[in-house]
Amino acid sequence: MISSIVLTTGLLLILIGLWGMLTHRNILRIVIGFSLMGTGTHIVIVAIGYVANGTAPIIDHALSLSEAASRAVDPIPSALAVTAIVIGMAVTAVMLAYAIRLYEAKRTLSIDAFTESKW
Amino acid sequence: MIRRLSIIVAIVAFGLVFASLVIGHTEQQSLLPLAESYIRLVPQELGAANVITGILLTYRAFDTLGEVAVLFMVAAGVGLVLGGERPPRSGPLEDRFEGARPPSEIVQTGTQILVPLISIFAAYIIMNGHLTAGGGFQGGAVIASGVLLMLLTYPQYQPNPEFLGVTESVAGALFVLTGIAGLIAAGGFLDNRILPLGQFGAFFSAGTIPILSALLGIKVGCELSVILERFRP
Amino acid sequence: MMALIGSVLVLLGAIFHFSAGLGMLRMPDVYTRMQAGTKASTLGNTLVLAGLAIYHPGWSLKLLIIVYFVLMTNPVSSHALARAAHSIRIPMAGDTGIDALRDARQKAGSGT
Repeated sequence: MISSIVLTTGLLLILIGLWGMLTHRNILRIVIGFSLMGTGTHIVIVAIGYVANGTAPIIDHALSLSEAASRAVDPIPSALAVTAIVIGMAVTAVMLAYAIRLYEAKRTLSIDAFTESKW
Repeated sequence: MIRRLSIIVAIVAFGLVFASLVIGHTEQQSLLPLAESYIRLVPQELGAANVITGILLTYRAFDTLGEVAVLFMVAAGVGLVLGGERPPRSGPLEDRFEGARPPSEIVQTGTQILVPLISIFAAYIIMNGHLTAGGGFQGGAVIASGVLLMLLTYPQYQPNPEFLGVTESVAGALFVLTGIAGLIAAGGFLDNRILPLGQFGAFFSAGTIPILSALLGIKVGCELSVILERFRP
Repeated sequence: MMALIGSVLVLLGAIFHFSAGLGMLRMPDVYTRMQAGTKASTLGNTLVLAGLAIYHPGWSLKLLIIVYFVLMTNPVSSHALARAAHSIRIPMAGDTGIDALRDARQKAGSGT
Protein backbone atom coordinates (compact mmCIF):
# COMPACT_ATOMS: atom_id res chain seq x y z
CA MET A 1 0.00 0.00 0.00
CA ILE A 2 2.66 2.51 1.08
CA SER A 3 4.96 1.57 -1.75
CA SER A 4 2.10 2.02 -4.25
CA ILE A 5 1.53 5.60 -3.04
CA VAL A 6 5.24 6.36 -3.25
CA LEU A 7 5.49 4.70 -6.65
CA THR A 8 2.55 6.76 -7.96
CA THR A 9 4.15 9.95 -6.64
CA GLY A 10 7.42 9.16 -8.38
CA LEU A 11 5.77 8.28 -11.67
CA LEU A 12 3.64 11.45 -11.52
CA LEU A 13 6.80 13.49 -10.96
CA ILE A 14 8.35 11.85 -14.03
CA LEU A 15 5.24 12.76 -16.05
CA ILE A 16 5.26 16.36 -14.80
CA GLY A 17 8.96 16.67 -15.65
CA LEU A 18 8.37 15.25 -19.12
CA TRP A 19 5.45 17.63 -19.69
CA GLY A 20 7.60 20.56 -18.57
CA MET A 21 10.43 19.54 -20.89
CA LEU A 22 8.11 19.20 -23.87
CA THR A 23 6.02 22.34 -23.44
CA HIS A 24 8.51 24.96 -22.28
CA ARG A 25 10.87 26.70 -24.69
CA ASN A 26 13.28 28.13 -22.12
CA ILE A 27 16.42 26.06 -21.66
CA LEU A 28 16.50 26.60 -17.90
CA ARG A 29 12.95 25.29 -17.61
CA ILE A 30 13.91 22.26 -19.67
CA VAL A 31 16.78 21.63 -17.26
CA ILE A 32 14.34 21.92 -14.35
CA GLY A 33 12.01 19.43 -16.05
CA PHE A 34 14.91 17.04 -16.53
CA SER A 35 15.87 17.30 -12.85
CA LEU A 36 12.26 16.67 -11.90
CA MET A 37 12.26 13.50 -14.00
CA GLY A 38 15.45 12.43 -12.26
CA THR A 39 13.93 13.01 -8.84
CA GLY A 40 10.86 11.00 -9.83
CA THR A 41 13.13 8.16 -10.93
CA HIS A 42 14.89 8.15 -7.57
CA ILE A 43 11.54 7.96 -5.77
CA VAL A 44 10.48 5.06 -8.01
CA ILE A 45 13.74 3.23 -7.28
CA VAL A 46 13.24 3.62 -3.53
CA ALA A 47 9.57 2.59 -3.77
CA ILE A 48 10.49 -0.64 -5.57
CA GLY A 49 12.78 -1.60 -2.70
CA TYR A 50 10.11 -1.24 -0.02
CA VAL A 51 9.20 -4.38 1.89
CA ALA A 52 5.87 -4.58 3.69
CA ASN A 53 6.15 -3.18 7.24
CA GLY A 54 9.85 -2.55 6.67
CA THR A 55 12.05 0.10 8.21
CA ALA A 56 15.39 1.65 7.25
CA PRO A 57 18.21 -0.92 7.15
CA ILE A 58 20.19 0.68 9.96
CA ILE A 59 20.90 -1.52 12.96
CA ASP A 60 20.29 0.41 16.18
CA HIS A 61 18.02 0.18 19.20
CA ALA A 62 14.97 0.47 16.97
CA LEU A 63 16.00 -2.50 14.80
CA SER A 64 17.89 -5.28 16.50
CA LEU A 65 20.37 -7.49 14.72
CA SER A 66 18.26 -10.63 15.01
CA GLU A 67 15.09 -9.22 13.45
CA ALA A 68 16.90 -7.14 10.80
CA ALA A 69 16.38 -9.71 8.05
CA SER A 70 12.64 -9.73 8.56
CA ARG A 71 11.91 -6.05 9.22
CA ALA A 72 14.34 -4.05 7.05
CA VAL A 73 13.68 -2.78 3.54
CA ASP A 74 15.84 -3.76 0.60
CA PRO A 75 19.13 -1.81 0.94
CA ILE A 76 20.28 -2.24 -2.66
CA PRO A 77 17.82 0.22 -4.30
CA SER A 78 18.70 2.77 -1.61
CA ALA A 79 22.40 2.42 -2.39
CA LEU A 80 21.52 2.74 -6.09
CA ALA A 81 19.53 5.90 -5.35
CA VAL A 82 22.56 7.50 -3.66
CA THR A 83 24.59 6.79 -6.80
CA ALA A 84 21.81 8.07 -9.04
CA ILE A 85 21.44 11.32 -7.10
CA VAL A 86 25.16 12.09 -7.44
CA ILE A 87 25.20 11.31 -11.16
CA GLY A 88 22.01 13.35 -11.66
CA MET A 89 23.62 16.32 -9.95
CA ALA A 90 26.66 15.97 -12.20
CA VAL A 91 24.48 15.88 -15.32
CA THR A 92 22.58 18.97 -14.14
CA ALA A 93 25.86 20.83 -13.60
CA VAL A 94 27.01 20.02 -17.14
CA MET A 95 23.63 21.06 -18.59
CA LEU A 96 23.71 24.38 -16.74
CA ALA A 97 27.27 25.03 -17.93
CA TYR A 98 26.14 24.48 -21.52
CA ALA A 99 23.13 26.73 -20.90
CA ILE A 100 25.50 29.53 -19.86
CA ARG A 101 27.60 29.01 -23.00
CA LEU A 102 24.50 28.97 -25.23
CA TYR A 103 23.27 32.18 -23.61
CA GLU A 104 26.61 33.83 -24.31
CA ALA A 105 26.51 32.70 -27.94
CA LYS A 106 23.01 33.95 -28.81
CA ARG A 107 22.08 36.21 -25.86
CA THR A 108 18.86 34.25 -25.40
CA LEU A 109 17.80 31.11 -23.60
CA SER A 110 14.89 30.27 -25.90
CA ILE A 111 15.44 26.97 -27.62
CA ASP A 112 13.78 28.37 -30.77
CA ALA A 113 16.92 30.43 -31.41
CA PHE A 114 19.14 27.38 -31.77
CA THR A 115 18.22 25.95 -35.16
CA GLU A 116 21.62 24.76 -36.41
CA SER A 117 21.12 21.10 -35.56
CA LYS A 118 17.40 21.06 -36.31
CA TRP A 119 16.16 19.15 -39.30
CA MET B 1 -1.23 22.64 -33.01
CA ILE B 2 0.36 19.41 -34.20
CA ARG B 3 3.13 19.90 -31.69
CA ARG B 4 0.68 20.32 -28.82
CA LEU B 5 -1.27 17.28 -29.97
CA SER B 6 1.84 15.13 -30.16
CA ILE B 7 2.87 16.29 -26.69
CA ILE B 8 -0.52 15.29 -25.31
CA VAL B 9 -0.29 11.93 -27.06
CA ALA B 10 3.19 11.31 -25.64
CA ILE B 11 2.14 12.27 -22.10
CA VAL B 12 -0.99 10.12 -22.25
CA ALA B 13 0.97 7.16 -23.62
CA PHE B 14 3.56 7.43 -20.86
CA GLY B 15 0.74 7.86 -18.34
CA LEU B 16 -0.91 4.64 -19.54
CA VAL B 17 2.37 2.73 -19.29
CA PHE B 18 2.96 4.10 -15.79
CA ALA B 19 -0.63 3.34 -14.75
CA SER B 20 -0.18 -0.27 -15.82
CA LEU B 21 3.05 -0.32 -13.76
CA VAL B 22 1.22 0.96 -10.68
CA ILE B 23 -1.66 -1.48 -11.14
CA GLY B 24 0.67 -4.40 -11.61
CA HIS B 25 2.83 -3.44 -8.67
CA THR B 26 2.70 -5.71 -5.66
CA GLU B 27 4.52 -4.89 -2.48
CA GLN B 28 7.37 -7.23 -1.60
CA GLN B 29 6.48 -9.36 1.38
CA SER B 30 9.99 -10.54 2.16
CA LEU B 31 13.50 -9.64 1.13
CA LEU B 32 15.19 -11.02 -1.94
CA PRO B 33 18.04 -13.45 -1.16
CA LEU B 34 20.77 -10.98 -2.16
CA ALA B 35 19.33 -8.19 0.00
CA GLU B 36 18.89 -10.57 2.90
CA SER B 37 22.49 -11.71 2.69
CA TYR B 38 23.65 -8.08 2.57
CA ILE B 39 21.61 -7.24 5.67
CA ARG B 40 23.04 -10.28 7.45
CA LEU B 41 26.64 -9.88 6.28
CA VAL B 42 27.21 -6.12 6.68
CA PRO B 43 26.80 -6.07 10.49
CA GLN B 44 28.55 -9.43 10.92
CA GLU B 45 31.50 -9.18 8.55
CA LEU B 46 32.02 -5.43 8.33
CA GLY B 47 30.70 -4.25 11.70
CA ALA B 48 28.80 -1.33 10.15
CA ALA B 49 25.38 -0.49 11.58
CA ASN B 50 24.23 1.30 8.42
CA VAL B 51 23.84 -1.43 5.82
CA ILE B 52 23.68 1.04 2.91
CA THR B 53 27.00 2.64 3.82
CA GLY B 54 28.48 -0.83 4.21
CA ILE B 55 27.36 -1.71 0.69
CA LEU B 56 28.51 1.60 -0.78
CA LEU B 57 31.92 1.66 0.85
CA THR B 58 32.90 -2.01 0.85
CA TYR B 59 30.99 -4.41 -1.36
CA ARG B 60 30.30 -1.80 -4.05
CA ALA B 61 33.16 0.57 -3.20
CA PHE B 62 34.57 0.18 -6.69
CA ASP B 63 31.36 1.75 -8.03
CA THR B 64 31.77 4.56 -5.53
CA LEU B 65 35.29 5.14 -6.77
CA GLY B 66 33.98 5.35 -10.32
CA GLU B 67 31.29 7.74 -9.20
CA VAL B 68 33.85 10.05 -7.62
CA ALA B 69 35.81 9.84 -10.87
CA VAL B 70 32.66 10.93 -12.73
CA LEU B 71 32.33 13.91 -10.37
CA PHE B 72 35.98 14.79 -10.97
CA MET B 73 35.47 14.63 -14.72
CA VAL B 74 32.37 16.83 -14.40
CA ALA B 75 34.40 19.41 -12.48
CA ALA B 76 37.02 19.33 -15.22
CA GLY B 77 34.36 19.38 -17.96
CA VAL B 78 32.50 22.33 -16.46
CA GLY B 79 35.82 24.12 -16.23
CA LEU B 80 36.47 23.32 -19.88
CA VAL B 81 33.02 24.49 -21.02
CA LEU B 82 32.98 27.64 -18.92
CA GLY B 83 36.69 28.38 -19.24
CA GLY B 84 38.47 29.72 -22.27
CA GLU B 85 38.48 33.37 -23.20
CA ARG B 86 35.06 34.38 -21.93
CA PRO B 87 35.22 38.14 -21.62
CA PRO B 88 33.78 38.67 -18.12
CA ARG B 89 35.88 36.05 -16.43
CA SER B 90 39.17 37.68 -17.31
CA GLY B 91 40.41 40.57 -15.20
CA PRO B 92 40.78 40.81 -11.46
CA LEU B 93 37.93 39.66 -9.27
CA GLU B 94 37.22 43.10 -7.82
CA ASP B 95 36.52 44.62 -11.26
CA ARG B 96 34.05 41.92 -12.22
CA PHE B 97 31.75 42.83 -9.35
CA GLU B 98 32.18 46.57 -9.48
CA GLY B 99 28.53 47.38 -10.18
CA ALA B 100 27.19 44.66 -7.91
CA ARG B 101 25.11 45.62 -4.92
CA PRO B 102 26.78 44.87 -1.61
CA PRO B 103 25.08 42.13 0.41
CA SER B 104 22.81 43.41 3.11
CA GLU B 105 23.78 43.28 6.75
CA ILE B 106 21.22 40.64 7.60
CA VAL B 107 22.62 38.28 4.99
CA GLN B 108 26.20 38.90 6.17
CA THR B 109 25.36 38.25 9.80
CA GLY B 110 23.31 35.20 8.87
CA THR B 111 26.22 33.81 6.88
CA GLN B 112 28.63 34.35 9.76
CA ILE B 113 26.33 32.37 12.03
CA LEU B 114 25.38 29.69 9.54
CA VAL B 115 28.66 28.72 7.88
CA PRO B 116 30.22 27.28 11.07
CA LEU B 117 26.95 25.49 11.82
CA ILE B 118 26.86 24.03 8.31
CA SER B 119 30.49 22.88 8.60
CA ILE B 120 29.83 21.14 11.92
CA PHE B 121 26.72 19.51 10.50
CA ALA B 122 28.71 18.31 7.47
CA ALA B 123 31.40 16.80 9.70
CA TYR B 124 28.70 15.10 11.78
CA ILE B 125 27.06 13.61 8.70
CA ILE B 126 30.36 12.40 7.26
CA MET B 127 31.73 10.87 10.44
CA ASN B 128 28.51 9.09 11.43
CA GLY B 129 27.96 7.49 8.04
CA HIS B 130 28.57 3.98 9.37
CA LEU B 131 26.20 4.39 12.34
CA THR B 132 23.22 6.44 11.14
CA ALA B 133 21.94 7.83 7.89
CA GLY B 134 24.67 9.83 6.19
CA GLY B 135 28.01 9.34 4.55
CA GLY B 136 30.60 10.94 2.36
CA PHE B 137 28.46 12.10 -0.52
CA GLN B 138 25.78 13.70 1.60
CA GLY B 139 28.29 15.44 3.87
CA GLY B 140 30.31 16.64 0.88
CA ALA B 141 27.17 18.20 -0.58
CA VAL B 142 26.54 19.96 2.74
CA ILE B 143 30.12 21.33 2.72
CA ALA B 144 29.52 22.62 -0.79
CA SER B 145 26.31 24.31 0.35
CA GLY B 146 28.38 26.23 2.92
CA VAL B 147 30.78 27.28 0.16
CA LEU B 148 27.79 28.32 -1.96
CA LEU B 149 26.50 30.49 0.89
CA MET B 150 29.92 32.17 1.13
CA LEU B 151 29.98 32.74 -2.64
CA LEU B 152 26.50 34.27 -2.55
CA THR B 153 27.21 36.57 0.37
CA TYR B 154 30.72 37.73 -0.48
CA PRO B 155 31.08 38.07 -4.26
CA GLN B 156 34.81 38.62 -3.84
CA TYR B 157 35.29 35.45 -1.81
CA GLN B 158 37.71 33.18 -3.63
CA PRO B 159 38.20 29.61 -2.45
CA ASN B 160 41.84 28.83 -3.12
CA PRO B 161 41.80 26.65 -6.26
CA GLU B 162 45.26 25.16 -5.62
CA PHE B 163 44.26 24.19 -2.10
CA LEU B 164 41.02 22.61 -3.34
CA GLY B 165 42.82 20.76 -6.11
CA VAL B 166 45.60 19.43 -3.89
CA THR B 167 43.20 18.40 -1.10
CA GLU B 168 40.94 16.65 -3.55
CA SER B 169 43.84 14.79 -5.20
CA VAL B 170 45.35 13.74 -1.87
CA ALA B 171 41.98 12.46 -0.63
CA GLY B 172 41.48 10.51 -3.85
CA ALA B 173 44.98 9.02 -3.70
CA LEU B 174 44.51 8.03 -0.06
CA PHE B 175 41.18 6.40 -0.95
CA VAL B 176 42.86 4.25 -3.59
CA LEU B 177 45.81 3.50 -1.26
CA THR B 178 43.40 2.32 1.44
CA GLY B 179 41.82 0.09 -1.17
CA ILE B 180 45.20 -1.38 -2.16
CA ALA B 181 46.05 -1.92 1.51
CA GLY B 182 42.85 -3.92 1.77
CA LEU B 183 43.96 -5.92 -1.26
CA ILE B 184 47.27 -6.78 0.45
CA ALA B 185 46.28 -7.18 4.10
CA ALA B 186 42.70 -8.42 3.88
CA GLY B 187 40.30 -10.07 1.46
CA GLY B 188 40.26 -7.74 -1.52
CA PHE B 189 40.28 -4.25 -2.99
CA LEU B 190 38.77 -1.75 -0.50
CA ASP B 191 38.18 -4.46 2.11
CA ASN B 192 37.58 -2.66 5.40
CA ARG B 193 38.97 -5.33 7.71
CA ILE B 194 42.59 -4.14 7.72
CA LEU B 195 41.73 -2.19 10.89
CA PRO B 196 40.08 -3.85 13.90
CA LEU B 197 36.32 -3.84 13.61
CA GLY B 198 35.88 -2.58 17.15
CA GLN B 199 32.71 -2.75 19.15
CA PHE B 200 29.56 -2.80 17.05
CA GLY B 201 27.83 0.59 17.11
CA ALA B 202 30.77 2.50 18.57
CA PHE B 203 32.19 5.58 16.86
CA PHE B 204 35.56 3.92 16.12
CA SER B 205 34.28 0.76 14.54
CA ALA B 206 33.70 -0.89 11.17
CA GLY B 207 37.38 -0.94 10.17
CA THR B 208 38.27 1.55 7.47
CA ILE B 209 34.70 2.62 6.66
CA PRO B 210 34.86 5.89 8.70
CA ILE B 211 38.23 6.72 7.11
CA LEU B 212 36.93 6.04 3.61
CA SER B 213 33.82 8.07 4.43
CA ALA B 214 35.88 11.03 5.59
CA LEU B 215 38.11 10.89 2.48
CA LEU B 216 35.04 10.65 0.28
CA GLY B 217 33.42 13.61 2.03
CA ILE B 218 36.53 15.77 1.62
CA LYS B 219 36.86 14.80 -2.02
CA VAL B 220 33.22 15.37 -2.90
CA GLY B 221 33.13 18.66 -0.99
CA CYS B 222 36.20 19.96 -2.86
CA GLU B 223 34.86 18.83 -6.23
CA LEU B 224 31.45 20.41 -5.71
CA SER B 225 33.08 23.61 -4.46
CA VAL B 226 35.21 23.75 -7.60
CA ILE B 227 32.10 23.23 -9.75
CA LEU B 228 30.26 26.01 -7.89
CA GLU B 229 33.22 28.34 -8.20
CA ARG B 230 33.31 27.83 -11.96
CA PHE B 231 29.70 28.93 -12.30
CA ARG B 232 30.10 32.48 -11.15
CA PRO B 233 30.56 35.27 -13.69
CA MET C 1 -1.75 12.29 26.93
CA MET C 2 1.68 13.43 25.75
CA ALA C 3 1.10 11.70 22.44
CA LEU C 4 -2.18 13.57 22.06
CA ILE C 5 -0.59 16.98 22.73
CA GLY C 6 2.23 16.16 20.31
CA SER C 7 -0.22 15.09 17.62
CA VAL C 8 -2.27 18.27 18.06
CA LEU C 9 0.87 20.38 17.68
CA VAL C 10 1.90 18.49 14.54
CA LEU C 11 -1.61 18.98 13.16
CA LEU C 12 -1.45 22.71 13.91
CA GLY C 13 1.88 22.88 12.11
CA ALA C 14 0.39 21.08 9.13
CA ILE C 15 -2.46 23.62 9.06
CA PHE C 16 0.08 26.44 8.96
CA HIS C 17 1.95 24.68 6.15
CA PHE C 18 -1.33 24.39 4.28
CA SER C 19 -1.98 28.10 4.73
CA ALA C 20 1.53 28.74 3.39
CA GLY C 21 0.70 26.76 0.27
CA LEU C 22 -2.61 28.54 -0.06
CA GLY C 23 -0.88 31.90 0.28
CA MET C 24 1.62 30.99 -2.44
CA LEU C 25 -1.28 30.27 -4.78
CA ARG C 26 -3.61 33.13 -3.88
CA MET C 27 -1.41 36.15 -3.05
CA PRO C 28 -1.15 38.80 -5.78
CA ASP C 29 2.59 39.51 -6.16
CA VAL C 30 6.08 38.20 -5.37
CA TYR C 31 6.53 39.92 -2.03
CA THR C 32 3.24 38.90 -0.46
CA ARG C 33 3.69 35.36 -1.71
CA MET C 34 7.15 35.29 -0.22
CA GLN C 35 5.97 36.44 3.18
CA ALA C 36 3.14 33.90 3.12
CA GLY C 37 5.59 31.13 2.26
CA THR C 38 8.22 32.16 4.80
CA LYS C 39 6.28 33.16 7.88
CA ALA C 40 3.71 30.41 7.76
CA SER C 41 6.21 27.68 6.94
CA THR C 42 8.64 28.82 9.65
CA LEU C 43 5.88 28.66 12.26
CA GLY C 44 4.60 25.40 10.79
CA ASN C 45 8.06 23.80 10.93
CA THR C 46 8.57 24.96 14.50
CA LEU C 47 5.20 23.57 15.57
CA VAL C 48 5.77 20.21 13.85
CA LEU C 49 9.19 19.87 15.46
CA ALA C 50 7.82 20.89 18.87
CA GLY C 51 5.12 18.27 18.50
CA LEU C 52 7.77 15.67 17.67
CA ALA C 53 9.78 16.76 20.71
CA ILE C 54 6.76 16.09 22.95
CA TYR C 55 6.20 12.79 21.19
CA HIS C 56 9.81 11.63 21.56
CA PRO C 57 11.40 13.52 24.47
CA GLY C 58 14.71 11.79 23.73
CA TRP C 59 15.06 13.70 20.45
CA SER C 60 14.52 17.12 22.03
CA LEU C 61 18.08 18.39 21.75
CA LYS C 62 18.47 17.47 18.08
CA LEU C 63 15.05 18.93 17.30
CA LEU C 64 16.00 22.13 19.13
CA ILE C 65 19.08 22.43 16.90
CA ILE C 66 16.90 21.90 13.82
CA VAL C 67 14.46 24.58 15.02
CA TYR C 68 17.37 26.97 15.53
CA PHE C 69 18.61 26.18 12.03
CA VAL C 70 15.17 26.78 10.49
CA LEU C 71 14.73 30.01 12.42
CA MET C 72 18.12 31.20 11.14
CA THR C 73 17.93 30.15 7.50
CA ASN C 74 14.33 30.73 6.51
CA PRO C 75 14.05 34.50 7.22
CA VAL C 76 17.56 35.21 5.92
CA SER C 77 16.99 33.47 2.60
CA SER C 78 13.59 35.07 2.16
CA HIS C 79 15.06 38.48 3.01
CA ALA C 80 17.81 38.02 0.42
CA LEU C 81 15.30 36.93 -2.23
CA ALA C 82 12.91 39.79 -1.51
CA ARG C 83 15.73 42.31 -1.60
CA ALA C 84 16.98 40.94 -4.91
CA ALA C 85 13.46 41.06 -6.32
CA HIS C 86 13.09 44.65 -5.14
CA SER C 87 16.35 45.76 -6.69
CA ILE C 88 15.54 44.34 -10.12
CA ARG C 89 12.22 46.24 -9.80
CA ILE C 90 9.73 43.40 -9.90
CA PRO C 91 6.41 45.26 -9.71
CA MET C 92 4.26 45.16 -6.62
CA ALA C 93 0.53 44.51 -6.53
CA GLY C 94 -1.54 47.49 -7.62
CA ASP C 95 -2.88 48.53 -4.23
CA THR C 96 0.45 48.54 -2.38
CA GLY C 97 0.62 51.76 -0.37
CA ILE C 98 4.07 52.05 1.18
CA ASP C 99 7.47 51.02 -0.20
CA ALA C 100 9.80 51.77 2.68
CA LEU C 101 12.94 50.35 1.03
CA ARG C 102 12.50 52.58 -2.05
CA ASP C 103 11.92 55.62 0.15
CA ALA C 104 15.02 54.85 2.18
CA ARG C 105 17.10 54.37 -0.97
CA GLN C 106 15.81 57.67 -2.41
CA LYS C 107 16.63 59.46 0.80
CA ALA C 108 20.14 58.00 0.79
CA GLY C 109 20.54 58.88 -2.88
CA SER C 110 19.39 62.51 -2.46
CA GLY C 111 21.50 62.92 0.66
CA THR C 112 24.79 62.28 -1.14
